[in-house]
Amino acid sequence: MHWRMVQGIVSFIALCGAELQPSAPFVHAGDAASNGAAVSGTVVYTADSQRPWRYARYYVTDAKHGYLAEAVVCLSQRGLKNFRPRATPQTVTMDQMDYRFVPETVAIRAGDQVRFTNSDPLLHNVMALGGVEPLNVSLVRDSEHVQTFRRAGNAKNPVKIGCSLHSQMQAWVFVFDHPFFAVTAADGKFRFDDVPPGEYTLELVHPAGGLSWRQPVTVAAGEMKTIDIRVSPDNKD
Amino acid sequence: MPHSSLTRRDALKTTALSTGAVLAYLSHPQFLFADQDPAETLVPFLDMPRARPGMLDWETLDAWLTPQDQVFTVSHYNVPKVDPGEYRLEITGLVEKPRTLTLDELKARPRSDQLMTLECSGNGSSKGFMGAVYNSRWTGTRLAPLLKECGIKSNAIEVAFIGYDKSSETLRKGTPRELTFDVPFGRSLTVEHAVNLDPLLAYERNGEPLTQGNGSPVRLIVPGWYGIANVKWLRRIELRDTRYVGRFMGRDYVTVRGERRGDTIEYVETSVSKMNLKSIVARITRKPAVNGKIPCKAYGAVWSDGTDIKSVEVQVDGGEWRPAALDKEPRSKFCWTFFSIDLGALPPGKHQVVSRATDVNGRVQPTAQDDEIALKKTYWEAYAQWPRDIELTEG
Repeated sequence: MHWRMVQGIVSFIALCGAELQPSAPFVHAGDAASNGAAVSGTVVYTADSQRPWRYARYYVTDAKHGYLAEAVVCLSQRGLKNFRPRATPQTVTMDQMDYRFVPETVAIRAGDQVRFTNSDPLLHNVMALGGVEPLNVSLVRDSEHVQTFRRAGNAKNPVKIGCSLHSQMQAWVFVFDHPFFAVTAADGKFRFDDVPPGEYTLELVHPAGGLSWRQPVTVAAGEMKTIDIRVSPDNKD
Repeated sequence: MPHSSLTRRDALKTTALSTGAVLAYLSHPQFLFADQDPAETLVPFLDMPRARPGMLDWETLDAWLTPQDQVFTVSHYNVPKVDPGEYRLEITGLVEKPRTLTLDELKARPRSDQLMTLECSGNGSSKGFMGAVYNSRWTGTRLAPLLKECGIKSNAIEVAFIGYDKSSETLRKGTPRELTFDVPFGRSLTVEHAVNLDPLLAYERNGEPLTQGNGSPVRLIVPGWYGIANVKWLRRIELRDTRYVGRFMGRDYVTVRGERRGDTIEYVETSVSKMNLKSIVARITRKPAVNGKIPCKAYGAVWSDGTDIKSVEVQVDGGEWRPAALDKEPRSKFCWTFFSIDLGALPPGKHQVVSRATDVNGRVQPTAQDDEIALKKTYWEAYAQWPRDIELTEG
């Protein structure tokens, strides 16, 4: 495995892992962390033989269980905007390797950074397609560009990333204004700790697969809530 | 001539399935070639980009006629939106009776189908650009009878095809003789080619009106020629007494290739035109290991400019070349033919699988190291053999 890819994955896991730990900077203004609950679950894709998903092979590696990888799962609620940015912004690496962004989907807090790198022996480009923060840089091999994403679009408005030189390359940066988000790995699991009691919407977005799902959820103080999410071709955007 | 599209469902209907295979299939639907056993599972190629909509997804190829969501589009200027009700096609220049036709008038002419695999001439230039090829049933009316009705004047040597798409071009940029001008997209054929290649003025693809990206409402289809020659959003057909040399014939889509002249190499520039003999392994499948070895099969496609294919051979890890079985149908002169081969039982580990095609004239698809590829300095006409890397495990 290429070293850049290892770096990227490690920093990506570290970033997501940090979100799962009870920690002071993520406390809602006015809510006590000790009353926080946890919301966790597994995302499963239910295949339909009449409507096969051409790209399932990338995201459902365990066909028996259907665990869905690279799905963004998050809570949403108007009050979540009151979270302060991290005291120390974090950086996640998104590499360009074998004509792919690796990883293709990242989720960060507003104020965090993405380090774009290029491990391919040719010129790539990193361009934000839409979004409010301009981004259009070209990267020769082993160069990098660090971009700070200050504005949160949450699940609804990710920043879509492309390479202007290779149109099939695409990636998504989801920027949240709160800590309750995760990107699923191959086991399809997600977990949010220190969730303040309240009413939320639990949302799933799979940008590459065009899947979306949402459901209201009420979280009581100290509750350990498990919600397994099942999506199918019916959840295509 | 067989015209049918083999779909995954057709494949299932025509393939005897074991109960276990059916269960495996239903739990994780796969895309199958016609003679593929659903018990075979995909062995992904190593280090390849992920397939995306808008390009052919080789590993899930199951349809001889490519579905629209896997059709690539390339535009060189703008992507004009031409109202079919307002559409006009001019036939002008060195003809006795110039004409302007509406879409309805074109559709009222004799209707004709052209089955054809259309490939971008840059397809295969890198592993990031491998899916710019698709197979179609184009429907429209033939060009040659229309030109005959218009009366080609004896001094006409060239037929220029001009699109509705346009832009500005700059020549000799940064010099005192810099020149900028507005110009529409254009390509041309000789009069002889325009008559003998039997091009189609196409208004449907696979029974549906053309999409905007694919040249709606009318495009030129030149059997056996690379995508660039198949002018989209066709606006004007102009007979001329001089060669037409637009950007996409004389400055771009020009192959620069070294040719050996004794001890020296001389570079030659040629305009991209006819498609080349080409084959590719589309996917490799496996079954569960038996005695520590994994039974594997390879599937692929071969195509040309219409020259008949003699054979496709497949090589594993630099071993002997073994003949693949070419599908007997569906087949058509200007279309790809699917092939398959049983690779036998391979040991766990990394392997390289590659195909090469030979046509009836003895032309053999070259390797990347052969002169005709190695001395080619531009990426157009990327038809070299394409080795596929896989890794097998016992589990």
